[in-house]
Amino acid sequence: MPEVTRRTVRLTTETDLAVAADGSVELLTREHGDFDTAGDAAGEEELKALLRDELAGLEAERRAELLEGLAISDPHREAESVALSTQLFGLREVLRERLPVCVVDERQPVGLAVEGILAIDERSFWINGWAHDEDGQGQLAVVSPEGCRIDLSERAFRFERPDVVEFYAGLGAGGGREHGFTAFFELPAPSRLTAGWLVELRTSSGAAVEVQCPPANTDPQTIRGTILGELANHGALSGPLAAEHGRHALSRLQERIVGEAEIDSVDVYGEPPADPEVSIVVSLYRRLDFLEHQLLHFSTDPDLARAEFVYVLDSVEQREDLARRAAELFALYGLPFTVVNPTAGSGYAGANRLGISVARGEKLLLLNSDVIPDRPGWLGEMCRFYDENERIGALGPKLLYEDDSLQHAGLYYHRPPGGKVWENAHRFKGLHRHFPAAEVTQQVPALTAACVLIDRERYEEAGGLPLHYVQGDYEDSELCLRLESAGYENWYLASAELYHLEGQSYVAEVRRGPSEYNMWLHTEIWGERIAEIMESFDPHAAAGVA
Amino acid sequence: MSDLRVLFVAHNHPTLHPGGAEAYALELYEEMRETPGIEPMMLARIGSNVARRRVSHPGTPFSSVNGDPGQQFVFTETEHFDFFTLTSRDKSLYSRHLTDYLLAHRPDVVHLQHTHFIGVDLVSQIRRVLPDAAIVYTLHEFLPICHRDGQMVRTSGDELCGEASPRRCNECFPELSPQAFFLRERFVKGHFANVDRFLAPSAQLMEKYVTWGIEEERIEVEEYGRRAPERRAGKPSQVRTPTNIGFFGQLSRFKGAEVMLDAMAMLEPDVDAHLWLHGANLELQSQEFQDDFAARTRDLRGRVSFRGSYEHSELPRLMEDLHWVLIPSIWWENSPLVIQEAFFHGRPIICSDIGGMAEKVSDGVDGIHFRAGDAVSLARTIERATKNARLWQKLRDGVSEPYAMDAHVTRLLELYEETIEQRKAVTVDA
Repeated sequence: MPEVTRRTVRLTTETDLAVAADGSVELLTREHGDFDTAGDAAGEEELKALLRDELAGLEAERRAELLEGLAISDPHREAESVALSTQLFGLREVLRERLPVCVVDERQPVGLAVEGILAIDERSFWINGWAHDEDGQGQLAVVSPEGCRIDLSERAFRFERPDVVEFYAGLGAGGGREHGFTAFFELPAPSRLTAGWLVELRTSSGAAVEVQCPPANTDPQTIRGTILGELANHGALSGPLAAEHGRHALSRLQERIVGEAEIDSVDVYGEPPADPEVSIVVSLYRRLDFLEHQLLHFSTDPDLARAEFVYVLDSVEQREDLARRAAELFALYGLPFTVVNPTAGSGYAGANRLGISVARGEKLLLLNSDVIPDRPGWLGEMCRFYDENERIGALGPKLLYEDDSLQHAGLYYHRPPGGKVWENAHRFKGLHRHFPAAEVTQQVPALTAACVLIDRERYEEAGGLPLHYVQGDYEDSELCLRLESAGYENWYLASAELYHLEGQSYVAEVRRGPSEYNMWLHTEIWGERIAEIMESFDPHAAAGVA
Repeated sequence: MSDLRVLFVAHNHPTLHPGGAEAYALELYEEMRETPGIEPMMLARIGSNVARRRVSHPGTPFSSVNGDPGQQFVFTETEHFDFFTLTSRDKSLYSRHLTDYLLAHRPDVVHLQHTHFIGVDLVSQIRRVLPDAAIVYTLHEFLPICHRDGQMVRTSGDELCGEASPRRCNECFPELSPQAFFLRERFVKGHFANVDRFLAPSAQLMEKYVTWGIEEERIEVEEYGRRAPERRAGKPSQVRTPTNIGFFGQLSRFKGAEVMLDAMAMLEPDVDAHLWLHGANLELQSQEFQDDFAARTRDLRGRVSFRGSYEHSELPRLMEDLHWVLIPSIWWENSPLVIQEAFFHGRPIICSDIGGMAEKVSDGVDGIHFRAGDAVSLARTIERATKNARLWQKLRDGVSEPYAMDAHVTRLLELYEETIEQRKAVTVDA
């Protein structure tokens, strides 16, 4: 290969910009190997000269090409990422073609506004706004601060914005009615700056404008709330916005939330059993008082002395409070337990995954913090039953409300008349704890993870708790469906009884939005299999399903 | 054989603040101290709500009581106490300080008179630290069952409550969920599981605890024993007019303060009765209650006189002025000590027809019942008492001597021995 003469200019301590004799540019990084560590570190002045003398004078089309090339070049950008993004933003500002900034005016047909941009992770984004032009056929594109351009025209979900329709009423109906746009989009290279996003609109008649976006929001809770809110606003929890945008966005967000939570420290109180048969994994969220109640009741049950307790603190801001309480409670109850402190909260599934990663038992008992046993002996009973049948995947006990009515005797699926989504339903919920049909141990479609026993290997085989649901819901059902798909059976054990003070950690209102979305996603993935299962399962009968 | 070491634990001490259960606990301690073969100890809670300044020493909650080597205060911060779950939020109270105390004294019997301000966790900690010790718990009211000051009177209309449940308790306290009440009950019962024997000073109190879930074999009725006063009040100096009725105790809503004032206001002019109020702790009531009380006693001048609080030793003299003792409580009561006080001095009782009052005072034998909470019924009863001097004499003759402290101590010692034997059987099995 002929030697290409090229000049390099230091962009950051980790990255050089290389300009070849033919005018092409690329990024060289230290990690990549072709970074010339001995190269001159002239930096800023030389970069400015390069831009001024060699790049700024190029044709617009050529500059756009260079910009695109730079933006999507994907060096290993771990170190100094923000610094590099800042330099790329500087290059973008020199190289890009500037369009007139859009001024919104009810007499001018071309109008464009971006109302929000959400940084789900460094490559995944969510945008919403509106655009108006003479025929509703204009091309929309979003440009990242680093110069990546993504076409939104084909991608975006378009919808009617009555406020925009009214605003432009004086111009007639030429601009169509679906001015609103919302889109999930991904970049080929990471973007790390919140400021500097642009959206461009090019109309059929050749007019072109741009607007600056408000700074990207990076807070996962705000992002989640905004996306769920938009899905709900469009009455489209099960429509195209959810299927083509919401699901991808929320899955990415969940991955980010879970990914950001790592185990920061593990505190062990006392000496847990060396070779536990069962690891009891409990996620604590806000209600730390539940720990005291559980330890009080667990400490009097000899079966539990042989189990390992792993508490995961999902409300990480309570770390000091928990550490103080845990030490005192261990001093009082003497029951050994382990506390996992994650770096960040990650929701029900995320927290349980962290707990399970340190659990040593052959079996896992996933337990909610608001579950209190009715009497000792329940775990031994569950383990014996589990061991007697090698086809069992998940095994759940009878769960009771505080008034001795049934909270759970196994899950089944229910589709309301005319409804499209399957809901999880608890068999015999609200009936008396000794309702005859609930006294029968039997196979059921699924179990709640409020208290469920699963062999460790079978749990892993089924891929564990799924992470794509929002805020703890439907994971248990999906886990059971996965076990069922892997050839296992899910069983309800009537003789083990515990109380479940359902929903004490979350306020019902907070859960409503996520719950509708989760239900839709659950049906999207499992709907067909659920329909088959419910063909042969009678939720009202107590007879075993062989 | 070495002396039997008995530790009494109380939530208060009479030297700090008057109260029936604590007065009885101290009397019991003193009686035991005079009993050969017994080494009693008394641990009484002191705290910011009853002491004028912080009375504990740096680094310890313990301090001494009037120089008595057998008595000890334990200081707990009022704000550390969780009045809902009946537990101390500062767990070092149990894991460190009370553990130290128990190990230093190693009682054979811990007889809990109360765990308020200390916490029900103490029961479990005694069991852990001293596996052989007998744990006896005297129940003085319904605090473990009822969040409304242990009265079992509902917040709506002061209706009497016969049975707690998460649902019913939530009706009384809508801001506290049924689940919270469930956890409270399970928590208290979880600790109470370590009590060997509960004592109920009245049968009606025992019944309510059995309904709540305490097994019948773990609870028995044992009335408060009392030391007879050194001097008994003689017959009232003025037998005929006016008829003097005395009230002793806390002036509070649950004690029926409003009922008796309403009844006095209803009396016909020819009913020559006078009510003497010997009331404690008025200053602890709400300002509204105090103002209302002051206004109404002013309006009833000539019929009602407020004579302030009293010392126990003054009772013979105060009783001397009275014909009747009135107990108008609108809650169940347990076994009101004032019944025994009145009977020691041969005074018949007018009382509400419910709970411990109805159980301990026999209508037409040593007192008269009126319909609880009903001022009209009380007014008629007072009228009847006023106009019938023979009735008074008959009921006075019907009064029998209260349960004596020495008989009570004898029974307790038997019970302690039984319980210690039971524990030995348990710890040997284990």
